[in-house]
Amino acid sequence: MRLAPVDYLILSLYFVFVLCIGWIVKRKVATSDDFLTSGRSVPVWITSLAFIAANLGAQEVIGMCASGAKYGIMTAHFYWIGAVPAMLFVGVFMMPFYYGSRARSVPEYLKLRFDEKTRALNAVTFAVMTVFSSGISMYALGLLFQLVLHWSFTASVLLSAAIVLIYTFLGGLTSAIYNEVLQFFLIVLGFAPLSIFVVTRTGGWSSMASRLPEVMTHTWRYAANASQNPMGVEVFGLIAGLGFVLSFGYWCTDFLVVQRAMAADSMSAARRTPLIAAFPKMVMPFIVIVPGIAALALSHLALGYSIPLKSGGEPDYDQTLTTLMAQFYPSGMLGLGLTALMASFMSGMAGNVTAFNTVWTYDLYQGHIRKNAPDSHYLWVGRVTTVVGVALSIGTAYLASHFNNIMDFLQLVFGFVNAPLFATFLLGMFWKRATGHGAFTGLLAGTAAAAVTHGLTLAEGKGGWLGTVLHTFPSTMAQNFWIAIFAWSTCFLVTVLVSLMSTPKAAAELRNLVYGLTTIPHEQVRWYKRPAPLAVIILAALLLLNLLFW
Amino acid sequence: MSDLRIPIGSFFALVGAILCGTGLAANYHAPLESANVNLDCGVSMLIFGAIMLWLARRKSRS
Repeated sequence: MRLAPVDYLILSLYFVFVLCIGWIVKRKVATSDDFLTSGRSVPVWITSLAFIAANLGAQEVIGMCASGAKYGIMTAHFYWIGAVPAMLFVGVFMMPFYYGSRARSVPEYLKLRFDEKTRALNAVTFAVMTVFSSGISMYALGLLFQLVLHWSFTASVLLSAAIVLIYTFLGGLTSAIYNEVLQFFLIVLGFAPLSIFVVTRTGGWSSMASRLPEVMTHTWRYAANASQNPMGVEVFGLIAGLGFVLSFGYWCTDFLVVQRAMAADSMSAARRTPLIAAFPKMVMPFIVIVPGIAALALSHLALGYSIPLKSGGEPDYDQTLTTLMAQFYPSGMLGLGLTALMASFMSGMAGNVTAFNTVWTYDLYQGHIRKNAPDSHYLWVGRVTTVVGVALSIGTAYLASHFNNIMDFLQLVFGFVNAPLFATFLLGMFWKRATGHGAFTGLLAGTAAAAVTHGLTLAEGKGGWLGTVLHTFPSTMAQNFWIAIFAWSTCFLVTVLVSLMSTPKAAAELRNLVYGLTTIPHEQVRWYKRPAPLAVIILAALLLLNLLFW
Repeated sequence: MSDLRIPIGSFFALVGAILCGTGLAANYHAPLESANVNLDCGVSMLIFGAIMLWLARRKSRS
């Protein structure tokens, strides 16, 4: 792919705007709360778009297009059952506790609800994970631009890190959120045309579908049996593993996304954030997955396009998106498409860095290292942490480029740590008898259960390191879903058992933290701004989409 | 809080103008697409940018 001057012009224009946004926001930053939590003052349309943009990294866009080519429209399950129901749940049921508790972070909620050790466990694993994800984002960016444009790995990593550092250092969370919204529009306006052009080239949806195996254009018809669909998953694993445990675990407890809703300017806006975000989330598959499906149809058409191959001869699905861009976008739009990818890599880093910042400053530094310093000190710590966070990410990016195995291993371990989380929050928010000892042991037991499940089962050669193999899954995806199910159930049971054996907190201490002891303010807003009617509309739309692509 | 619609609107209006200009000056063809992609996308972005700026302006007046 060769870029023309106009492409560089668009890319530089984007950099200028990003830095300007950081500069404008900087004037509003006076306290550590402004810097780390946006002072709870962001309008709801911005928090909503940032809520999904924080998750819409470039790896996501490239990966979803790749999965579209590999698995077809079944990939949309990651959106329709793997995200939207959980987003409704966090908005309608959980946000009153997150926002109403006045906690500044998700780990801080755990501290208020349970105890210090549960918070520390969550804060430490989360902090390590964010630095790691931010580094992976940077590594993927360097690799992609090296492959597609032959830019130097070091130059792309350092340039993007420098820009992210400048705008998050200046404006903190607000700056990160504002840039996520810009990135969201870049992704939509940069890739929706690609989807339209590619599908039109194959002759429209029905013509495209007729050139593909039936299973590629149906979401549920072949989901009953793992051997009938390319994902190798069956309907229970799909719904319980992906639709319940993994999706609720991510969308309802991951501070990176929850932080966006917590930055909203009122309780009502915080609850509406994930609900409004669900609308664009539902249609996202048409922008990111459909081009991949169309690419597969296109490669049967003898127009000169084929899915790129690896050196071994097997298809390299990860390159589907960039090869489509090269075939369908001339200089100009090509520059915009690459800018959109660059933007989503960078906001992926910025999102992680700002979340890391808040957790480090409030949960670890203020919680354990220096408790009663003046606010200006914590603002200073927040700023320094931004620099440290970016530096650690660059280190991780280089580590990833040298030791790929370490990254795979870490990703696996984080999966084990995350899998049980939702059980802890569910019990914490809806069962006032749940105790800190229960939550802590439950989390550890759940993580152990995840590791043991992985050690005793095998899928595509992965797992089985405990010696005996009790079960073999048709795909690693199915294995992941089932690991999540076992981890969640173990955490749930252990938390309940240990809680019943330990003394609960007094009801007075749990005010605004648990269902039954929290008064949800009745805000005088129009019906379409209330969570329940919004959720019903979303569910109806979701049902319709699933039926259309049954 | 300064209105985010202003930078977003200006960015897309500018990019839209650049793309329209590119599309009008030379119809660069992508290998598999015969439409004038730059002009089509440029016009849509120009409209999007203008709507954002108009919304921001309406808000600041009221």
